[in-house]
Amino acid sequence: MQAIRVSELRKTFPAGGRVRRRDAVEAVAGISFSVAAGERLAYIGPNGAGKSTSIKMLTGILHPTSGEATVLGIVPWRRRRELAARIGTLFGQRSQLWYQLTPRQTFGLLARIYGVSRADEASRVASLGELLDATELFDQPVRSLSLGQRMRCELVASMLHEPEVLFLDEPTIGLDLVAKTRFRDLIVRINEQRGTTILLTSHDVSDIEQVARRVIVINHGRLIYDDRVSRMRRTLLGTKVVDVRFADPPAMVDVEGAMLEKLTGSGAKLVVDTTQRPIRAVLDDLLERYDVVDISVADPPLEEIVSHIYTRPL
Amino acid sequence: MRPYLAGFNRGLRGAVVAPGDLTVRMTFLVIVVLVMAALWSAAVEANGGSIEGYTRDSLLWYVMAAQVAVIAVRPRTVEEVGEEIGSGTVAVQMLLPVSVAGLRMSIEAGEAAARLAAALVVGGAATWFLAGAPPSGAGMAMAVPACALGAAANIASQHAFGGIAFWLLDAKSTWFVYQKLVFIPGGMLIPLELLPGGLEAVARVLPFATMAYVPGRLASGHAEPALLAWQAAWLVALVGVALAVYAAGQRRLEVLGG
Amino acid sequence: MNAVLTTMRTALADGWANRRSFAFQVLLMVVNDVTWVLFWALFFNRVGTVRGWNPDDVYVLFSVLLVAAGIAIGLLANSRRIGQLAADGELDETLVLPIEPLPHILTKRIDAANVGDLLFGPVLFVLAGNPTPERVAVFVLGSLAGTVALVGFLVFCGALTLFVGGRGEQGDLGFNAILIFASYPLDLFGGATKVLLFTAVPAAFVTGLPAQLVRDFDAQRAALLVSVAAGFALLGWVTFSLGLRRYSSGSLWSR
Repeated sequence: MQAIRVSELRKTFPAGGRVRRRDAVEAVAGISFSVAAGERLAYIGPNGAGKSTSIKMLTGILHPTSGEATVLGIVPWRRRRELAARIGTLFGQRSQLWYQLTPRQTFGLLARIYGVSRADEASRVASLGELLDATELFDQPVRSLSLGQRMRCELVASMLHEPEVLFLDEPTIGLDLVAKTRFRDLIVRINEQRGTTILLTSHDVSDIEQVARRVIVINHGRLIYDDRVSRMRRTLLGTKVVDVRFADPPAMVDVEGAMLEKLTGSGAKLVVDTTQRPIRAVLDDLLERYDVVDISVADPPLEEIVSHIYTRPL
Repeated sequence: MRPYLAGFNRGLRGAVVAPGDLTVRMTFLVIVVLVMAALWSAAVEANGGSIEGYTRDSLLWYVMAAQVAVIAVRPRTVEEVGEEIGSGTVAVQMLLPVSVAGLRMSIEAGEAAARLAAALVVGGAATWFLAGAPPSGAGMAMAVPACALGAAANIASQHAFGGIAFWLLDAKSTWFVYQKLVFIPGGMLIPLELLPGGLEAVARVLPFATMAYVPGRLASGHAEPALLAWQAAWLVALVGVALAVYAAGQRRLEVLGG
Repeated sequence: MNAVLTTMRTALADGWANRRSFAFQVLLMVVNDVTWVLFWALFFNRVGTVRGWNPDDVYVLFSVLLVAAGIAIGLLANSRRIGQLAADGELDETLVLPIEPLPHILTKRIDAANVGDLLFGPVLFVLAGNPTPERVAVFVLGSLAGTVALVGFLVFCGALTLFVGGRGEQGDLGFNAILIFASYPLDLFGGATKVLLFTAVPAAFVTGLPAQLVRDFDAQRAALLVSVAAGFALLGWVTFSLGLRRYSSGSLWSR
């Protein structure tokens, strides 16, 4: 059973703007995909790629310029209210929780809005609180919660009406590493214990690794990759970027398994394919053979992965 | 002196470059002039042609000048000053090697100058259309600088009031009440001569009358130069108070480590 | 309906969470309103009756305005912010809920200061409006009709931004113009202005007609008021609903 079906969906924002004249923008340029019930999908792309616009069309907020889509068999922009009762949303940059009130008070309002009985509300709040380790946060005013704590309560709020699909738009933005990891874990928990279909947008590559089983990459409004994460990991996420600074810059940096991308007066940038040689081995070599002052290892920026995907179809 | 002149210029240019705000204000000016014209025409009509020496036409010129002087100034400055203090923004401003209050007032004065020029033209045109030429050329000539002095006094006074936020910390919605002080004892809505004796006496002692009543009185044909001197005196006093309040507040912040 | 009432209750709780600030703002607004009453008292004290209007008539007018504004921008504080909300993409959080968006948007924000108006308006009427049972009934119904007209007008102006862009500044201008005109008796104004007040700047339907009806009830004009108020409400509703199809949710700067 396909929870989400998208076909040639397109959204063009018309030209306009009074202060600065702006050309028409094709935010989403004809995308097609489907998502099975119970799946965990990461919807990845750089800023401005069209991720948020896609989600907003699937949740009924925006009307598409052309194309079709159904979520749970319902066309979102035609029967918005009917669909809204069956899906949940969590926008990282917009809060559903009333700032001066406690999360529990917001839950009460949402329960009335979604038509959840008081008895059901109580039991669901309790069980979600347990599932998401958030119960002790429910009776403190939202303004006194940290961002990580708030996001956990937002999750409770978005699951209160037991939606079949949960859309998350950049939910980990602004969270520190620990909070991010914890949050991703909770999303997986929800999916595994309740079978909720998860569609998560992000520009953070780690969201793919921890949460998703399948990943769709979008760029310039077009889908450029749609496959299982395991495959992507094997081929693309095995790359690491190593930035080295030397006390006395050598004329050449030659390490097995590392490709020298840039050599400057103070340091070098190397690209390592960890599927060919473990990063540890490369680092050991570097530290042993050169006079290293500083070293950092990072994932390649998403833009780079995306452009690799773009130029090397798999 | 230079940083304050620079502030003035910045304010001036800022106001000119934002035509939207100017248009809105000028529209309001016209609306208010129309409404006041209707009100005072009816009032004078019901009182046999003049009230306390004001004819219908001279009252309209009174209204014009009083409105122009007030509309040139942002009414929410009291609140904004209060918020800047309450939120601690002012602490950052105090890192500059100039007087915060002085600089802020200069910028607002610049903005006010732009609005004043526009308002004099628009308001003057509307009033001329409704009431003919100003009743006294000399009066009108004095009314123009009076509008400027009144606006300046208004700005200084708002900074003095807002400065109280150093001690009270909540200035939200206070601008409403301040505005009413300019409206009534300030003489913007109703010439001071029309107030009952006791109230008129009190109003003449308060600084608000220099912000609206003086320009209005001059424009309505009563070319009394003493009024300008009275304005200048209050302006100096109010600027002094604003600077003192800020200085005291600054010392308090430093003590509190705010 | 339950959802709407709960939303309003939640908004009140949210505003009331900072009790001191809420109460202080209400108080300040009451002071502000009292000074306006004072202005009229001073005016009539010196000028006497003007075109058949004496102070009590004006106080009735003002109480209607206070109730209408108190509800429209105090309790339903978002009614004047629809343009901003649309421009900033803040309608999203309502559009993902399984309810009619407009009632929720209108009831989810309360402005403490203008609630002060709503509290003072009836008090003023009781004190100065000669509150016989008939007059009270007309006052309540007339003020409500005026409120509906005002909210409808505000929503209409705000919803226009969904079609023409901007942030609703035109609506703000229109609203403030209504406020000014609505504070003065209708009879004060001559031909062209009066036409304006019955059309583009509908102050006549917000306070003018309701106040006239309290003075001197007449079924025909009452029917006119009610139908025009309903008309503005419908206009606002329809414009907003059609505009939602063109909503771009602030996506223009974060896609």
